[in-house]
Amino acid sequence: MSAPAINVTEKGGALRAAAEGRFDALPIYKPDIECAPREQIEAVQLAKLKDTVAYAYERVPYYRAKMDEMGVAPADIQTLADVRKLPFTDKAVLRDTFPFGLFAVPLDEIRELHSSSGTTGKPVVVGYTDDDMDIWSECIARLVQMAGVVPGDRAQMAFGYGMFTGGFGLHYGLQRLGCAMIPAGSGNTERHIQMIEDYGTTVLVATPSYAMHICEVGEKMGYDWEASPLRVGLFGGEPCPPGLKAEIERRMHIVCTDNYGLTEVMGPGVSGECLAERFQQHIAEDHFLWEVIDPETGEPVGEGEMGELVLTPLGKQGIPVLRYRTHDLTAVHTEPCACGRTLARMDKVRSRSDDMLIIRGTNVFPSQIEDVLTGIDEVTPHYHIIVRTNRGMDELIVETELRPEAFSDSMASMEALRGKIAEKLKSTLLVAPTVRLVEPGGIERAIGKAKHVDDQRAK
Amino acid sequence: MTVSQISVFANSKPGHMGRVLDLFEAAGVSVRGFSAADTGEYGILRFVVDKPEAALAALQEAGCACVITPVLCLKLEDTPGELSRVMGVLARCDINVVYSYSMISTYIVLSTTDTKRAFELLSGEPVVMISQDDIARFVADRSEKEAVK
Repeated sequence: MSAPAINVTEKGGALRAAAEGRFDALPIYKPDIECAPREQIEAVQLAKLKDTVAYAYERVPYYRAKMDEMGVAPADIQTLADVRKLPFTDKAVLRDTFPFGLFAVPLDEIRELHSSSGTTGKPVVVGYTDDDMDIWSECIARLVQMAGVVPGDRAQMAFGYGMFTGGFGLHYGLQRLGCAMIPAGSGNTERHIQMIEDYGTTVLVATPSYAMHICEVGEKMGYDWEASPLRVGLFGGEPCPPGLKAEIERRMHIVCTDNYGLTEVMGPGVSGECLAERFQQHIAEDHFLWEVIDPETGEPVGEGEMGELVLTPLGKQGIPVLRYRTHDLTAVHTEPCACGRTLARMDKVRSRSDDMLIIRGTNVFPSQIEDVLTGIDEVTPHYHIIVRTNRGMDELIVETELRPEAFSDSMASMEALRGKIAEKLKSTLLVAPTVRLVEPGGIERAIGKAKHVDDQRAK
Repeated sequence: MTVSQISVFANSKPGHMGRVLDLFEAAGVSVRGFSAADTGEYGILRFVVDKPEAALAALQEAGCACVITPVLCLKLEDTPGELSRVMGVLARCDINVVYSYSMISTYIVLSTTDTKRAFELLSGEPVVMISQDDIARFVADRSEKEAVK
């Protein structure tokens, strides 16, 4: 007797399929490549790498000069490991050649321009040809299917459109799959909830922090998320803490995945989470060659070890970027996944080599603070970090939001909670923080990228 | 006999107590007495109000961290030594007063480590303990008197 069929288009169906290990119930957009043997994936990568390097050398003066200077020619690329002979590309290169210095085609072959949100500096502008747009939308179609999105779903966009790649990237990819787009854009949370109800929205695209905000506003309005047509949350634009995602899934009764990408190499679509390995994301390896390096030395780290992710988009026409240094720290695994895919998986990026804070000589990552707070029931997953100089010493201040049900009339128990949080943070970070308890809802919810750190020390 | 006190967690910043008071106003809740204790970063606002359940509902609706706590409310004679006498009764039985504040001149609120036992002890002493209804009556009487004037 066979088990009853699982319908992933029913609310809760995708999570149930994953929990029962029945991944055949979940769709795969392009099994020919997503489930191909490793040798086949690598053969595709090598052929495309050779073409990409030749293309960059021929068409982009910056790369020709750089490769000539290093004494490397396109013909030197004979194996995938030969990628190490090529120069790295840093964000600074894209900024210094602003706006079109790295473009490999005339502007009349460009169909769309985008720019980075400039979280860490001046924007970077990128251009896409028709073929680039085609690859981009396909990469997105793949990752939205990992969450159980199917043709016919109605997807509501809560990212802002504009120059940011997230909005249009997901828009095109979802349309490519055969979904109806509802381009609501960011802001006006109550209207979002109204639209979900009125239009029967099944998929929500948002940053995780904004999804949480929509959830909370809906609860306050008395909206019944369990009865809502909404089934899937697609998150991006900022790292998604596991605790936050689990809470959104529980309170909104949806399945949520997040994906990874960056404007400089394409935008969203570089990798996406499947429901088998919720802490990892499958890389679209036929379009991106990955390396993991030691950020200090630039040398590769061992198989499966943590380091900085370096990406070379394969076959990108508008801007061919070689060995882009993401500054994102991760580890990549190549064993086949329970979901059926053979594409390599990267651990979700929880920290960047450049968002590390050095506090009184100790390295501290905001993601460590997030992990500790996620494990404390009395506070919400929202937090804010302030670093300042106090009497010549670095001071780390962690603001965390009290859950209403954790409040008691006793100042002593509030102080004990504050002490407990400080103690837990100290044992993980090896730095004693100052903990501030904040009222429920007192930490600002971001609509775009959540800004968790305010470093007030003089640079 | 206890009085229902509303406690609210609030950050120690301008306007935060005002927000709580605005919620009370919108819910038609009158404050009869209050105290605000702080640690520098945050504080606990404590209120004795005419409609504790309505006050709690309004705060919860707004997402505030709040609880309702039973406290004792005593009406003291306005003579020297009265406060000391009451505190002495509790101290001799090892009941600690965690916090206390004065409500309406000689009406004081007490929160102790053992409210039930404190109530029993004080019931046997010459001290008037008042209920939520007494507060309402007191306010009503006073307005009546003022109206007569």
